[in-house]
Amino acid sequence: MLDSIPSFARLVAELAKFPGVGTKTATRLAFYLLRQPDAAAAALATAIVDLKRNTRFCSVCFHITEQDPCPLCVDPARDGSLLCVVEEPQAVLAIERSRSFRGRYHVLHGALSPLDGIGPEELRIAPLLDRLKAGEISEVLVATNFTVEGDATALYLARLIQPLGIRTTRLAYGIPMGSELEYVDEATVQRAVQGRREL
Amino acid sequence: MFLEQLTARQFRNLNEVDLCWGPGFNIIWGNNAQGKTNLLEAVYLLGHLKSFRGARTAELIQEGMTAARLTGRLVSREVRHRLEVSLEPHGQTPRLDDKPVQKLSQFLGTLRPVLFTADELVLLKGAPAGRRALLDRAVLQADPGYLDRFHAYSRVLRQRNQLLKERAAPALLEPWNEALIENGARIRHDRQVFLAGLQQVLSGIGRDIADSSEQLSFGYPHAGAPDQLQAGLRREQEQLLARERQLGQTLAGPHRDDPEPLIDGRPLKLFGSQGQNRSFLLAFKAAQLIDLERRLGEPPLLLLDDLASELDAGRQASFFAFLRRRRGQVLITTTHPATLGEAVCPQARYFRVEQGRVEERQAI
Repeated sequence: MLDSIPSFARLVAELAKFPGVGTKTATRLAFYLLRQPDAAAAALATAIVDLKRNTRFCSVCFHITEQDPCPLCVDPARDGSLLCVVEEPQAVLAIERSRSFRGRYHVLHGALSPLDGIGPEELRIAPLLDRLKAGEISEVLVATNFTVEGDATALYLARLIQPLGIRTTRLAYGIPMGSELEYVDEATVQRAVQGRREL
Repeated sequence: MFLEQLTARQFRNLNEVDLCWGPGFNIIWGNNAQGKTNLLEAVYLLGHLKSFRGARTAELIQEGMTAARLTGRLVSREVRHRLEVSLEPHGQTPRLDDKPVQKLSQFLGTLRPVLFTADELVLLKGAPAGRRALLDRAVLQADPGYLDRFHAYSRVLRQRNQLLKERAAPALLEPWNEALIENGARIRHDRQVFLAGLQQVLSGIGRDIADSSEQLSFGYPHAGAPDQLQAGLRREQEQLLARERQLGQTLAGPHRDDPEPLIDGRPLKLFGSQGQNRSFLLAFKAAQLIDLERRLGEPPLLLLDDLASELDAGRQASFFAFLRRRRGQVLITTTHPATLGEAVCPQARYFRVEQGRVEERQAI
């Protein structure tokens, strides 16, 4: 059926490449766009083109940005002595939403995974060390994910950073806020018990 | 725990099976290659989401069909649950009480069948991998959370082996050394705690079941508190690191440990006769049943695949006497239902399997 309307089929095929989107959803989205005024479709197309044209990675912290260095890196209100290292830009957004951190960031763009051929050279580790050697930073908070690969990356970074005389910390493990203990998985409870602290 | 009902659709040669099991002994009989073991495999899969014959999902679907489906109705502590597994060539979807399953360990904890198959006899005397598989399966049954820890360790192991194969620099290997020690010590701890709990039961049981006065035990090469196990594995790793680099694979860790069945303190694999080998496996399974019953608060379901062909009359009689005292549900396959008559399995229900069709029918 779709073969007879090639422009429609093409859009469905492109949309179906999105994560979490299958042919069914892609077809629904395409029909939605079909019913929109021309201007709405053009606005979406421009937004996509602008995203690719205007954004790049910040040359300092490698977060996504439109200006280089990014606003987070140049904001004078931020504490330049505190640096948070994350795997992906999404993690920066998550931590920023929490408004709990006022230092600066460094995005690695991945985690060590020998099976996937990802070693230190594939990550933004060398520029991280350059930043640390510049001398302003006194603490690095390693906020890589709590997976086997994220933990190994954290350990690897700690070994590199500690000889520089810089304090290295890891995000705490714990029970999600507002959750009841009985519904939390065992591994999390186990780590939370190990990481218990004085009241 | 009592599996009341089982349905299978397009599962191996079981095209359309609807069965109501009895709460005690259920004897599945028929000639070879008719589908008896497929029935046990279906029940096992509802409990463990895995075939005990190591089959991939695609092999479980009837030839020419695109999907298979198993459902079971089970009564556990007076509550009925419905288990369902849909099998497609590239995966399976479990549902518990008509709802999708959030965490696999939740589904795995529901029906916990203990399996006894003649194939496992070779495991006891064969390579260490077989004994590890036997032990890991038992630990997993006692504690479904073991699965996540086991997967995490396997992942670390594969990552580290990749680096060793690439002859990576020590600095690159370091974080994976640490990860292996942390995750590996946890596996050793889980195994050792499980065996310690089992030991008490196991040592008393030899007399009961295997008709012998021998002292049975399951030795494990490592013991201690979690931090001691970590320190131990660290030492081992330091000693073996040079060789690991040479060979390009991890040598120190629970994936190489050899859990050792012992009879009167002597290794079964060196000194055990065929008969002792069988007795040990029976005792191990019986101990596992008792241990699991203690954890669950009710007797678990037991699956016996072709037991009769492997046991002499004496061992069989004392094992069945043990099972009768326990009053759990038992599913047994056999080609000779007559040998499992009223004396051995009172009030048994009989199911005849022929070319993938099953009907409830008295033998003889």
